[in-house]
Amino acid sequence: MNQWEVFVNDIKELAEDADLELTIRTLNAGIHKYTYKRVRCQVSSDLKKHADQLQVRLGRGQLSASRFSIKVLDEVQRLPEKYR
Amino acid sequence: MAAPRSNREFIEACVKSGDAVRIKQEVDWENEAGAIVRRACELAAPAPFMEKIKDYPGFSYFGAPLSTYRRMAISLGMDPASPLPEIGKEYLKRTNGEVIPPVVVDRKDAPCKENILKGKDVDLCRLPVPLVHDGDGGRYVGTWHAVVTKHPVRGDVNWGMYRQMMFDSRTMSGAVFPFSDLGKALNDYYLPRGESCPFATAIGLSPLAAMAACAPSPIPEPELVGMLAGEPARLVKCETNDLEVPADAEIILEGEICPDYKVEEGPFGEYTGYRTSPRDFRVTFRVNCITYRNNATMTISNMGVPQDEGQLLRSFSLGLELEKLLKSQGIPVTGVYMHPRSTHHMMIVGVKPTYSGVAQQIGQLAFGSKLGPWFHMVMVVDDQTDIYNWDEVYHAFCTRCHPANGIHIYRNAPGTPLYPFATPHERKHSIGSKVVFDCLWPTDWDKINDVPTLVSFKHVYPKDIQDKVLANWTAYGYPPVK
Ligand SMILES: Cc1cc2nc3c(=O)[nH]c(=O)nc-3n(C[C@H](O)[C@H](O)[C@H](O)COP(=O)(O)O)c2cc1C
Repeated sequence: MNQWEVFVNDIKELAEDADLELTIRTLNAGIHKYTYKRVRCQVSSDLKKHADQLQVRLGRGQLSASRFSIKVLDEVQRLPEKYR
Repeated sequence: MAAPRSNREFIEACVKSGDAVRIKQEVDWENEAGAIVRRACELAAPAPFMEKIKDYPGFSYFGAPLSTYRRMAISLGMDPASPLPEIGKEYLKRTNGEVIPPVVVDRKDAPCKENILKGKDVDLCRLPVPLVHDGDGGRYVGTWHAVVTKHPVRGDVNWGMYRQMMFDSRTMSGAVFPFSDLGKALNDYYLPRGESCPFATAIGLSPLAAMAACAPSPIPEPELVGMLAGEPARLVKCETNDLEVPADAEIILEGEICPDYKVEEGPFGEYTGYRTSPRDFRVTFRVNCITYRNNATMTISNMGVPQDEGQLLRSFSLGLELEKLLKSQGIPVTGVYMHPRSTHHMMIVGVKPTYSGVAQQIGQLAFGSKLGPWFHMVMVVDDQTDIYNWDEVYHAFCTRCHPANGIHIYRNAPGTPLYPFATPHERKHSIGSKVVFDCLWPTDWDKINDVPTLVSFKHVYPKDIQDKVLANWTAYGYPPVK
């Protein structure tokens, strides 16, 4: 199970069971904690629906009480080829 | 006492004078180190030198480097007990003196080259990048550092302290405001051409190099450091680009600013004492090479409520640079000061009120200068008011500033997304508003009959009576006044 976190301005940005594109950061312990990835994913307020867990922070860093499970479908590569 | 040439010499001097403490027990990079630095700032306590960091053997942290005037005095090689006006005078003397250009040293004489990571080895997570405040948008690599760039046409070098958040192992995103030197170079040149801009971030600088990187001075920073230190700054060429970086810095990140790739940055605890500016897509840095000293020390400034470097040092240099500017225009100013607890939002200017409108002239110059976006209040008092004494300034403000005639408001001025009072729209577009508080008696009032007389011990009694009372103070039964 992986732990992820996302920043949103409004919890409505996390539409359930739709394909979403989000910038999420890993909360897994270790030196890479808090590094980001851009992903395509699905989220659900049913914490058992997907294996990975997602917690949410709002615009100024406040931790939201809403929790989700998340399935990362794939990574979205935004970085232009020339920098890779 | 000579000015410390490196962060290491500075730590040593601070430990010796009781202005830093060595913390031997292990400290977590996630929140704990940040919380220690924050508390040290709020208590104006000695700077924490944290020698053991969880997950990062061999690395250390030095926090709150210049968040007290004592440490600022040490950084200039002065007695730590020097009063603030003395420190200010020294800054003005040195920065008005002879230009001292830097020297470039061989890489074998540059400690920052002791370890070099390139290619697949480049991973910012190999450095103990702290999570400074809980709830920040990321771990911040650059909180007390210099981003080194060179203007592509003019060739002049810029060192600026622009915060940098780690986005992933090779990417950082930073708040480079459009009115800053780097912001202007990016907007004038690189972005329209779609060209990437080489950069180097130097972390763990000598305190004067850090001071120069956040001083709003027109003097190029490598020369400014030399002038402040009284000897040339030692620079060394980067591994992967033509920039030169401080040879004694603890950590160097080399790379390019991408004109066509932006990632999210923030939110972050800011010098205003709040997390204000919105998370946004900001200037994005790709790192190609990391070099660092053995047992490298990462420096941390933790911004929040007063007082940290964001307020103390910036208040100091913004005030003194404004003093230079006003004097260069022949305005009869007697001093300029920002109280750090105004989070460098209020400029207090002392002036000899010899002609009408001088307060507005000062305000317009201050707001219209390069320094202007960083503060929104200018309070002008006369030369009899001690600008360093808030009680006197506040008294002058509350009694002399005419509510209808003495307050002048300017709208649609440059601002920053960091202003807590600004509307969400103003923050998004860096729109500011400004105000001048004119606390001078109007020059067209009759000085004998219209101008009130200040009733204070210092002003209302003849000199001989003052001397007598002072000489007899303890004899009257009072404890001595310090
Ligand atoms: C701790 C600290 C953090 C700072 N962070 C930023 C920042 O993120 N962005 C910015 O534009 N200026 C920041 N500043 C202010 C700049 O360092 C300052 O304006 C400096 O003069 C560089 O600007 P210039 O390029 O206009 O000369 C910071 C200052 C300090 C002391």
